[in-house]
Amino acid sequence: MNFVALFQALDTSQSTNSKRDALITFIRESDPLESALAVEALTDRARGKRLKPSALKQTAYLAFGGDRWLFEECYSAVGDLSETLAILFADQEKSPEITQPVLADWIQSQEELGRLELEELANELLPLLKAYSKDEAFLFLKLSSGGFRVGVNKGLVHDAVAQAVSMDRAVIEERLMGGFIADVDWLRRLQSPVTQDELDARPLPFLLANPLIENDLNSLDPSTVLVEYKWDGIRAQLIKTRETIRLWSRGDHDITGQFPDIVDAATTLPSQLILDGEILAGSPDQLLSFSDLQTRLNRKRITHNLLKTHPVFFRAYDVLRRDGEDIREKPLIYRKEILATLAVTQSPVSFPNTPEQIAAMRESAREVSAEGVIIKRRESPYVSGRRVGHWWKWKLDPMTADCVLIYAQAGHGRRASLHSDYTLACWTSDGNLVPVAKAYSGLTDAELKAMDRWIRKHTVQKFGPVRQVEPQQVFEIGFEGITRSTRHKSGLALRFPRILRWRQDVGANDADRLTHFETLMRDSHAV
Amino acid sequence: MVSKKSCLREPLIIRTPEGLYCPKAQAHIDPWRPVDCALITHAHADHARTGSRLYHCALGGEGILKKRLGEHDIQTHAYGEVFILGDVKVSFHPAGHILGSAQIRVDDGNSVWVITGDYKRVSDPTCQLFEPVPCDVLITEATFALPIYRWPSMDQVMDRLFSWWDHHVRNHRTPVLLCYSLGKAQRIMAEISSRSDRSVLVHNAVANLNIEYEQQGIELCQWERATESQKSISSDLIIAPPQVADSGFLKRFRPTELAMASGWMQVRGVRRRSTINQGFVVSDHADWDGLIRTIKDSGASQVYATHGETRVFTRYLNDCLHINAERLETAFGIEAGTDQ
Repeated sequence: MNFVALFQALDTSQSTNSKRDALITFIRESDPLESALAVEALTDRARGKRLKPSALKQTAYLAFGGDRWLFEECYSAVGDLSETLAILFADQEKSPEITQPVLADWIQSQEELGRLELEELANELLPLLKAYSKDEAFLFLKLSSGGFRVGVNKGLVHDAVAQAVSMDRAVIEERLMGGFIADVDWLRRLQSPVTQDELDARPLPFLLANPLIENDLNSLDPSTVLVEYKWDGIRAQLIKTRETIRLWSRGDHDITGQFPDIVDAATTLPSQLILDGEILAGSPDQLLSFSDLQTRLNRKRITHNLLKTHPVFFRAYDVLRRDGEDIREKPLIYRKEILATLAVTQSPVSFPNTPEQIAAMRESAREVSAEGVIIKRRESPYVSGRRVGHWWKWKLDPMTADCVLIYAQAGHGRRASLHSDYTLACWTSDGNLVPVAKAYSGLTDAELKAMDRWIRKHTVQKFGPVRQVEPQQVFEIGFEGITRSTRHKSGLALRFPRILRWRQDVGANDADRLTHFETLMRDSHAV
Repeated sequence: MVSKKSCLREPLIIRTPEGLYCPKAQAHIDPWRPVDCALITHAHADHARTGSRLYHCALGGEGILKKRLGEHDIQTHAYGEVFILGDVKVSFHPAGHILGSAQIRVDDGNSVWVITGDYKRVSDPTCQLFEPVPCDVLITEATFALPIYRWPSMDQVMDRLFSWWDHHVRNHRTPVLLCYSLGKAQRIMAEISSRSDRSVLVHNAVANLNIEYEQQGIELCQWERATESQKSISSDLIIAPPQVADSGFLKRFRPTELAMASGWMQVRGVRRRSTINQGFVVSDHADWDGLIRTIKDSGASQVYATHGETRVFTRYLNDCLHINAERLETAFGIEAGTDQ
């Protein structure tokens, strides 16, 4: 069994059990290098893009000669770049090879292609695709772009790995972290004992908070919890061994290189230490926005100038290892005490007596540019994953507005050919509709289908794949913040807009006006 | 509808509220409202509607048409047979879509117009192969007019179908193939019959049409009505229309494994959005290459595209092949997911 056969099994099943079974069989029976590379790809540990989307498009343009528009129509109908190329250029009559390993060869050939100039690459890639079956070409291209989603989540893969080697999932998750090496020995390594040095250097599975539900707050005894702000940055573990200082993201990526200023600041910390915290832009007294933090990400070089204009710092929530000792089983308040002895920026903690005090802290979150609060049981150990009953997150309510649908476009992936990408508008003072947000999700499948039918019937005009529709449908959107923007016609940019509700009870004329957003913006910038 | 520039003479076919109409023949083509005289390309519901006074169709299509419309006055014509209606010569020509499907040729002595109806260019054991008909003006469908729609051979599809079928029987699940009950179901059954002695169970909607096909001498595989079979897992493939996926019909065969045979299955997202696990790319419509080939074969200097991806298709014909092409809105065709 190879990766193509695994994909076919995963892709033609909707049951978690049969997907897990397929994964277990694959891990047990396939070539160890094949399974290593597959696990790396399926758990999103593969590094970087070997082929850029622009390279794939260039290949298609080459094949379409002057008719680029025709390729764009195809892409828009399919909704996935790799799949579009596979359909167009693979040999549909071929059956894929499903026993011999393919991944190592694919990755090698992708790396070779990636080193070519764009035009040369396109010339090489086209005949390559023609030699593949549709599934092979699709997977080859999907794999080349790093991100890989085929209806299995990380947890399911970890579960399958654990079952395949008959070990505990928690142990497996721990051992998979910290720079997974995809080679023939990966399974053996997972099963062998671990040295102290390895333990010191390896990030630990993150404990994640569950959303707070109405009932939780009532059943919670305030005197058993502590509350801290939920900061809007990048969650990470800072790991100091005897030799090195490293930062690991939640996605198990080593992001040390992006943040030399944090590494510098951590040199005074004791070694054999693991902290859990948040990377934030600005300084503890003067936070910068998340978009400022984003300018620090995925840079080839971190310049001196950038370090000055966009400084970052690490705010610690928790300590998981101290002097090489794993203290995750100890209660949170104990770990907080240890943390307090360390010279690192910490997140302010409050010990509430009443539910009202928790609510009040949440209300104050916007003032300190936090997203809300995290409520943690004082006695909670640091367990792995999104376990119930330890940590709860209680975010601020999003800002909302009722907006009118003016354009719709077919979605991507699972929503290909359904018109699911909406452009939403509000009224200007002189009675025109001006776009304020693009939103992709939030409707049920049934609502999406109903809206798709409506959109097709009420199209006023088509601009390629985009349909302008009669301004009749109103949607309530939620968003986390507003900033001024010169790039948008409305002069506003919304942070993380999404559809909350289809307002079939509201007519287009009763949708919100631009002044509504102005008011929200004034109120939220009280700081 | 036709500008003086694109066709110097008076148009032979125009669009009326009832559908496409030939004034010189005083006949409508696939009208969507009752009319006096209807020329029918084929018996699918969006092309053959009830209530007209007189119907003309190709020989072989009469039986199905009756099943669909009930008792009506129907005149049949052999493929190629020329008959006079008003001031024009009319003839039916094989369209290769389903049993008895036809292109309609209209000739007034000055120009020849052909309305393709729905068609495909590949061979199908249940109907006569499409025949190119030279004409001045071609009115074509464009359901799958995008280069992503290229159909794999039936050999490839049937190999995959058989191995999928066997795989799920081995795993104690009943394989269920959902497809359109008129045309697609019989085509697949005929393809099964020419490759194996496998048998199938069918939904009643399919069974009623099977009888008609067999009366016309078309060889299908062994079949039985699913309603008459035992309540248990079946090793025979079940063939049923897509609507039954969510109904109680399949309960008795649980656990079931659903697949869909349709041209839309070419795109993974279309299948993934549904509850169907497996897709087979089988269509009774022309694919992109088939459409282009048909335009070229016809030699038409003017093309109208009636339904499907008409925007893309007419742009391609105008810009890339330099053939005058326009869109012509009709009530044919249904949205994605209900391939016929």
